[in-house]
Amino acid sequence: MRPTIRRGFLLFIWLVLLALPTAALAAGDINPDKVFREASNLIASGDYQSALEVLDRIPTPEGADNAGAFGKSRIQKAQLYAALGMPDEAEASCNEVLALFPDHMEAKSVLASLAKAKKPKWVLFIDDMKMFLPSLIQGAGITLFLVVITMVISPIGGLLIALGRISGLPPIRGLCWFIIWFFRGTPLLLQLFFIYYGLPSLGVTLSPTTSAIIGLGINYSAYLAEIIRAGIESIDSGQMEAAKAIGMTYTQAMRRVIVPQTYKRLMPPVGNEFIALIKDTALVSTIAMVELMRSANQMFNTYFNVNVLIIAAMIYLLFTTVFTVTFEKIEKRVGAYENR
Amino acid sequence: MRTDNQTNPTPVDAPIISLSKITKRFGKTTAVDAVDLSVMPGEKVVIIGPSGSGKSTLLRAVNILEEIDDGDLVFEGRTVGYVEKKGKRVLDTQKNICALRAEIGMVFQHFHLFPHMTVLENIMEGPVTVQGKSREEAHIIAEDMLEKVGLSEKRKVYPATLSGGQKQRVAIARALAMKPKIMLFDEPTSALDPELVGEVFNTIKGLADEGMTMIIVTHQMGFAREIADRVIFMEKGRFVTEAPPVEFFGSCMTHPRVASFVDSIL
Repeated sequence: MRPTIRRGFLLFIWLVLLALPTAALAAGDINPDKVFREASNLIASGDYQSALEVLDRIPTPEGADNAGAFGKSRIQKAQLYAALGMPDEAEASCNEVLALFPDHMEAKSVLASLAKAKKPKWVLFIDDMKMFLPSLIQGAGITLFLVVITMVISPIGGLLIALGRISGLPPIRGLCWFIIWFFRGTPLLLQLFFIYYGLPSLGVTLSPTTSAIIGLGINYSAYLAEIIRAGIESIDSGQMEAAKAIGMTYTQAMRRVIVPQTYKRLMPPVGNEFIALIKDTALVSTIAMVELMRSANQMFNTYFNVNVLIIAAMIYLLFTTVFTVTFEKIEKRVGAYENR
Repeated sequence: MRTDNQTNPTPVDAPIISLSKITKRFGKTTAVDAVDLSVMPGEKVVIIGPSGSGKSTLLRAVNILEEIDDGDLVFEGRTVGYVEKKGKRVLDTQKNICALRAEIGMVFQHFHLFPHMTVLENIMEGPVTVQGKSREEAHIIAEDMLEKVGLSEKRKVYPATLSGGQKQRVAIARALAMKPKIMLFDEPTSALDPELVGEVFNTIKGLADEGMTMIIVTHQMGFAREIADRVIFMEKGRFVTEAPPVEFFGSCMTHPRVASFVDSIL
């Protein structure tokens, strides 16, 4: 029996030793600095649960006129609870402070942000929208301006280049071939860089807006030229003969007979190009134009709020949708004569 | 019987159009081989012949839709279409060629109406765009021509809604609106369903009765028999034989090629 008794004694001593520090703390000898240091170490190591327990060691003061360490510990708890996705516990922790110190500013502000966090996601999104939309709409205005200008310039440029491509004069044909070859064959981004950053070294300095319009205008003219040429060549050659037979010149025949018949055929591919154009305007953000993409980017870099990008995407989608629907309508109208 | 065209100032004894030694080659093949043809005011010439005989090419050479390689084109006593330039024969200026074409009406096998214009707009197009007439004036002319081909009620519709015969009648009205001095018909009924040939034939017949000068290329023997003053049989780019219809379908039929061709059609 004796060995058993000795072993039980040793176990008792060990337990007493183990309990000693806890007993000392329970005696009310608390150093707030030590508690906060321990808690911040635990937070750093990721053990939030233990950190909460450690912070709880700071007792509720009685009759103090200053929240002090108590206030600080409960606010830290509230923030930890919020981080853990437990808003109710976080609020309780704040209210613990406010019950004793109704004017505690920090507790109030944490409570306010907790209330905000408790709002539904879509309400928050609406709040973000109210905040970001004004600048984004300004940027979208610039984008729309560039799109509309290019939509006016490029069909005219495209038609001229297309007519040049099928012209009987070899030098004009060659020049137009070259324009298409060059501007379709190099990236639009490079062309914009060249116009804005490269031309000044040749003595031509252009504003960002002018550079953007020139770059987009020529690039899209080159693309549309091939579409328009294909459209013109798809018209039955008998149409040109009939026009000539009543005495029309080549120009009159093109203007009155051939080109108007290409409109319906051109709508789908040209609509496609214009939708690509809406998105390609984002490239001019690289030459110091504050259009939709750039204003979105600026705000995203300031707030790191992904909602900015979502709202910008929604504006782009709105534009492309309106254009798509409009083009479908126009296509139906210009092709009305083909329907019985 | 035929009456002399009131609007035509050319003396009756001089040809409206006269082709001499017209030659057109496509690569190595000679489509039209040194052909001579004169057409008097009010005369109706019908050219028949097998496919590939060069009759359409010849007709298209008359209003320079086909650029000829050799020969002369004389319209109302003036040499037209081509000029000497540095010892080389080249096409005349576009302005002069367009002016010539404006005086020559042409009707195609496949109509070639402008599909994006209404029937009325099709007919008004020439007077307005080419002759620079006001829309009001052109409108009156177009209504007139439409009545002539019997399609007044179709003035507002687009060509897509018309039958082949109606399309061809509108095409005739479109050519007539330019007040041409001569009409060229390039197989005007070949693309039509048989039951639609009659209306187009009657329209052309009516025009012939009014004294319009015309050259008709066709496979339709009715034109040759009922309208022609002269029937020409063409083969391999040359005129094989030409004669008034009575002779053509009488003695000329003894010509072995003509007889076999006519047989093959009928």
